[in-house]
Amino acid sequence: MWKKLTTVALASMLALSLAACSADESEGKAESTTSKYPESNITIVAPSGAGGGWDLTARAIAKSMSETKLIDKSVVVENKPGGGGAVYMAEFATKEIKNDYVLLVKSPPILINNNKAEGNSPYGYKDTTPLAQLTRDYGAIVVKADSEFKTLKDVLEAIKKDAKSVTLAGGSAPGSMDHLVGVLPAFEYGLDPKTVKYVSYDGGGEAVAALLGGNADVIATDASTIGAYMKSGDVRVLAVSASERLGGELTEVPTFKEEGIDAEFTIWRGIFGPKEMSETASDYWSEKLAEMVETDEWKAELEKNGWESEYRNADDFTTYLEEQDKVIVELLTALGMQK
Amino acid sequence: MSTLQFLADGFGIAFQWHNLLFAFVGVIIGTAVGVLPGIGPMSGVALLIPVTATITSGMPTSAAAASSIILLAGVYYGAMYGGSTTSILLNTPGESSSVVTTLDGYQMARQGRAGAALAISAIGSFCAGVISLIGLVLLAQPLSNVAIKFGPAEYFSLMLLGLAAVSGLAGKSMTKALMMTVFGLMLGTIGIDAVSGIARFTYNQPILFSGLEFLTIAVGLFALGEVFNTILERDKEDGAIAKINRILPTKQDMKDSAVPIVRGSLLGFFIGVLPGAGATLASFFSYITEKKFSKNPESFGKGNIAGVAGPESANNAASGGAMIPLLTLGIPGSGTTAILMGALIMYNVQPGPLLFDEHPDIAWGLIASMFIGNLMLLVLNMPLVRVFAKVIQTPKKYLLPIIIAISFFGVYAVQYTTFDLYLLLGCGVAGYLLSKNDYPVAPLVLALVLGPMIENNMRRALTISNGEFSIFFTKPLSLAFLIVAALWLLVPMLLKLKGRSVIVEDEG
Repeated sequence: MWKKLTTVALASMLALSLAACSADESEGKAESTTSKYPESNITIVAPSGAGGGWDLTARAIAKSMSETKLIDKSVVVENKPGGGGAVYMAEFATKEIKNDYVLLVKSPPILINNNKAEGNSPYGYKDTTPLAQLTRDYGAIVVKADSEFKTLKDVLEAIKKDAKSVTLAGGSAPGSMDHLVGVLPAFEYGLDPKTVKYVSYDGGGEAVAALLGGNADVIATDASTIGAYMKSGDVRVLAVSASERLGGELTEVPTFKEEGIDAEFTIWRGIFGPKEMSETASDYWSEKLAEMVETDEWKAELEKNGWESEYRNADDFTTYLEEQDKVIVELLTALGMQK
Repeated sequence: MSTLQFLADGFGIAFQWHNLLFAFVGVIIGTAVGVLPGIGPMSGVALLIPVTATITSGMPTSAAAASSIILLAGVYYGAMYGGSTTSILLNTPGESSSVVTTLDGYQMARQGRAGAALAISAIGSFCAGVISLIGLVLLAQPLSNVAIKFGPAEYFSLMLLGLAAVSGLAGKSMTKALMMTVFGLMLGTIGIDAVSGIARFTYNQPILFSGLEFLTIAVGLFALGEVFNTILERDKEDGAIAKINRILPTKQDMKDSAVPIVRGSLLGFFIGVLPGAGATLASFFSYITEKKFSKNPESFGKGNIAGVAGPESANNAASGGAMIPLLTLGIPGSGTTAILMGALIMYNVQPGPLLFDEHPDIAWGLIASMFIGNLMLLVLNMPLVRVFAKVIQTPKKYLLPIIIAISFFGVYAVQYTTFDLYLLLGCGVAGYLLSKNDYPVAPLVLALVLGPMIENNMRRALTISNGEFSIFFTKPLSLAFLIVAALWLLVPMLLKLKGRSVIVEDEG
């Protein structure tokens, strides 16, 4: 019996010490990031499933950085989906707070999640180190190619007649970006945005699948990711949230304004470091990102994805975020969804 | 051009010597990735993307894309071959899709039939690979059309069917199995809710925001639980492991496995086609189905070869099925296919409806290479069975520390958090206590996988229907699943009322 107990104790000791030594390891790694940055591979996290706007942006950065040899360590993209980006945001703002080797690609949800009442994320852009804004994109209202809705007005009229008859879907939770893009025209059209029926999926890809499969009547998504599906003739884009018409596949698509809806919504995308990122690391990235946006490789990525370039350096980006934060609060207040 | 013509062209590409080499390297790495716990197919593929990009950088874009996707896909299905190894030998699932293999695979190993179990899972994987590829060639277009029709209501009913079938995983007592199911469902609610974004049961601990990791819990309950069990119950267990009599399966083994392999392959293929369902679910469904169809279901969990052959075929077939929505719709059905899609996009190849028109060389080259890769895997894995089967003869005093170490490294490599290591330990203790008192842990693990999917899809469906529960009955597919689920539960009860002897539902 005694022998048995000793064996158990020894086994547990072994197990516990294994747990303990990996704890030391991870802390040690986070602290020893001082002079020669970067010393190991860098991870850019897209807080969504693959194929969405964040994911494509993260992959474009990683690809440009390695092709141009601006960074000789490899840059890896990881997908961490959930809660419209809020799940990973919490991890980023707490667990990775000092980790110079993890960056995050984000867009307006970093402001929206922090300001909305339901499903509030306690962490906002102030819990990060904004490094640069890279692109801008717009929202798009999309229906299936054989849909009865020919224009944005058709959709809005149908909602006005019977809100329960139209299912709007998007790749993120209620109160997040796809939802805002989707209900914005309805709100401006004088409808109660709360009556619009919204179904959230895990990422834009699943939302498109729901549209193609007839499980959603209308989806709100990013203008840039919908181009490929439009080219294949599966979907019809009714309107985009830009101030003027876009290029590429979407030249024929009217803006909200042209459809008589006085609204705009810009989806900026930027890259963030953790809040307590070392100055060495944030300076390093500011410099590398400024170089990157000038390269042909990056421009090719922009062209390919149908994004418009909009570069802001760390300081300008922070100021811009402050302004945008106010705009979002106004919009959410108008929708009755503010914190 | 006809499909056959395209396929022939595909083989032309796949048989180019460098592509043969790429496929070969891919499947070797895949096997290693599958055997090593911790590196799953997802991280394996992700890690190799930059490597393949460098190797293929000198080639024209289209050829480079074809070559690297051949290698990366090789890693993906290769991992499904290797994944069963540690499940069978050490009761330590390396991938979530091989969790269910531990149930009978490990028992077979303890009876000295490790060789048979490993060999049958390689053979099953090969058959499944070929069957799913034939399905991919013939049915890609029609199936992708059906797959997208699968809405929230259909998913909900399918998952509910899975949960109803949980009785198939019950041990002696149905009541205990149900208790474990409910416990698993409750654990599944921890984390930020994906539909509303609200945190549940997280107590403001960010570590809980993304929920409990399925693999940590499975490894803890199965592997560590077994380690504690072996140490504490040593007096009884000594010498329990029989000598290995033969490496290859007997004629009887092959006969017993043939039908489960075919059934598992078909089931796995169709579940794999559905975006979001995946290999883990396929292997569970296959196990439950085999037990239901078996003439002696009481032998499951005690080393029935069908319990290895079915699920191992299913998870491999699912990886073939998952290529359909990826290639034809541009919709990744699982984490690994999402990364494969990223790799294609890197080469400016957009998977989707236009892929087969714009880049037939890549699409068909990949499909043809998967036939070749599967053959390579079979040839590669059969000799390895001999080597691996010896592992089981290692004395306990060396084997147990190895299992503990592998479990810890495996979990840490996936999660990178020490929280998961403590969770692993806790689950190990729980696993020991539960199995000592005859509480089956498999229903808990299944409920943990199914719970969030059931909930999210139910809420989506109800939003679409404006809160009308009738949506689950008016959609034909959904209704069909619900009827099967109801029959699954009711038929044994009715038979019991009639006084027939039914094993599964017996009260312990």
